[in-house]
Amino acid sequence: MSSTQEEFNTHSLSVELMNEVQQFLYREARLQDTEKFRDWLNMLTEDIHYWMPYRYQRYRKNEKEPTIYDQAYYNDKMEDLKKRILRTETGTCWSEDPATRAAHIVTNIEVELSSNPNEYQVYSLITVRRNMNEDEEHTMVGHRTDTLRRVGGELKLAKRKIILDQNIFMNKSLNVYL
Amino acid sequence: MATNNDFNNYIDTKKGWVDRRIFWDQEIYEQELKQIFAKSWQFVAHDSMLPNVNDFYTTYMGEDGVVVARQKDLSVKVFLNSCPHRGNKFCYADDGNTRSFTCNYHGWSFGIDGKLGALANEHVYDKGDIDKEKWGPRQARVDNYKGLIFATFDPEAPSLEEWLGDFRWYLDMMLDGDGSGTEFIGGGIKSYVNANWKFGVENFVGDAYHALWNHDSGLKAMNNGEGFGQAVTEGSYHASVNGHGWEFGTDGFADVIIMGRPKWTEYVQNVLKPQMKKRLGELRSTIYGSLASVSLFPNCSFLPGIQTFRVWLPRGPRKLELRTWTIVNKSMPDDIKQEINIGCMQTFNPAGVLEMDDGENWEGNTSVNKGYLTRQEKLHYGCGINRQIEHQELPGTIYAGQFNDANQRQFYQRWADLMNANNWDDVPTRYTPRYSGKPTV
Repeated sequence: MSSTQEEFNTHSLSVELMNEVQQFLYREARLQDTEKFRDWLNMLTEDIHYWMPYRYQRYRKNEKEPTIYDQAYYNDKMEDLKKRILRTETGTCWSEDPATRAAHIVTNIEVELSSNPNEYQVYSLITVRRNMNEDEEHTMVGHRTDTLRRVGGELKLAKRKIILDQNIFMNKSLNVYL
Repeated sequence: MATNNDFNNYIDTKKGWVDRRIFWDQEIYEQELKQIFAKSWQFVAHDSMLPNVNDFYTTYMGEDGVVVARQKDLSVKVFLNSCPHRGNKFCYADDGNTRSFTCNYHGWSFGIDGKLGALANEHVYDKGDIDKEKWGPRQARVDNYKGLIFATFDPEAPSLEEWLGDFRWYLDMMLDGDGSGTEFIGGGIKSYVNANWKFGVENFVGDAYHALWNHDSGLKAMNNGEGFGQAVTEGSYHASVNGHGWEFGTDGFADVIIMGRPKWTEYVQNVLKPQMKKRLGELRSTIYGSLASVSLFPNCSFLPGIQTFRVWLPRGPRKLELRTWTIVNKSMPDDIKQEINIGCMQTFNPAGVLEMDDGENWEGNTSVNKGYLTRQEKLHYGCGINRQIEHQELPGTIYAGQFNDANQRQFYQRWADLMNANNWDDVPTRYTPRYSGKPTV
């Protein structure tokens, strides 16, 4: 690490890998937008940790990082995500009928190699535009840090941490995955 | 009358209706800020949010921003978060630890006790320009019930003990089940709902009814695909004291199971319930964990067994800010606390599988009233209107059957009583106290 600039370990990153990661994230976004949640689950490893923690808003001198023992919007393993998806399949999920119209926009993708040749650290911004009912429109922006793992040749999402910009969550519900 | 309005004209607890305008009109809302929120004891923080000297937390009483701060002698002070110079907030953080607050505008600083201290460039003031003792932010009265910190800005308000009254008998199930006291999990998720604040409170004060239909999908998600089944009214009740309400069954486990964490269910069965039975007796150990919900007048709610704890802060007549926490007993092992943390969050926060369905309804309840004709229509609150009973063990106003609008009617009666009152002598006590001056454990 130089004193004025971060050094990025990108020299050995291939265009093919960048492309593969991008395509992975775009596919994931499309499956979310089209509510193909079971297909999305197939893109995750069995030991997935999907985490969107509470965000502290404190003075700089008091700043505090959330832990998994604090409150979180999502702090889910595979079995927990399956419960959420089961809810949308019951036929009695009234608030999802008519369906929410969501657009997951993935940008600012960065890929970092790790010491494990089968794992990559991927940063991205996720913007979800959600339109519901007559005219309700909500926008959410999250800063994502993902771990992607190659399992049997295929990329899978093994870990995701999402930091939301909002302090007070500005909407009545968070019915989308970021 | 505090205004020309008689607020008993907006409710009828005998016929069972409520006027929709109380969920919409700006003028009524302004009266609520004055008559309800400037007078009532309100939950402002839990002791565990301020463990150390100089810890602080910022919140609202009505729309009045306040700082809740732990003092050197471990007492708590609550004061307005507004600089008496030009009015700016002097604390912009949600919480933290500090010896003083300094206003960004001109640099007036305030101690953790709220007293005005040094001013930036103080030499511009001549001797006699300002009496610092007189120019601190207004201080509230503060009291504590078993870890919950309450405050009121009304020097004439009755004591907190009288305000809670016999409801303490019920509160002890949540706050004093095993004698170790309670604490909040770290965090405090906040969200906006475009709904009148009373819709959140009245839902928790008595609305077991909605759970069966509205939360069917959430319950199935958390309970291996099984729904609630039919409403059971036998052995279930509405209990109301001073507008506070607890609706509950005596099945013992429905709310615990809704959380979907088998280790928690096991803990409640094998550890917590036997302790509660010893400490609080058979009936209360049976009530805890049953299908239930609770609100404290005016705007604090919780779910025993699911362990969500929350306030509904008013943000105008058509918007509320929901703050949610997770409450656990101090004595619980760390792994049980984490099970509760996870299960509570999966069910009750903006992403929770039960919470997600509620906000949607309350926004609809509120927004329809923009229609002039729509808001002239009354809302029906007549369920179980003839089911009042006396119960040997249960204090307060008791109605049989938890699928009932009784607690909601009592909540709105208390609302009207306070809205109409010129002083506290005008506010009637509408139940027969059994525990005045007596402990409830």
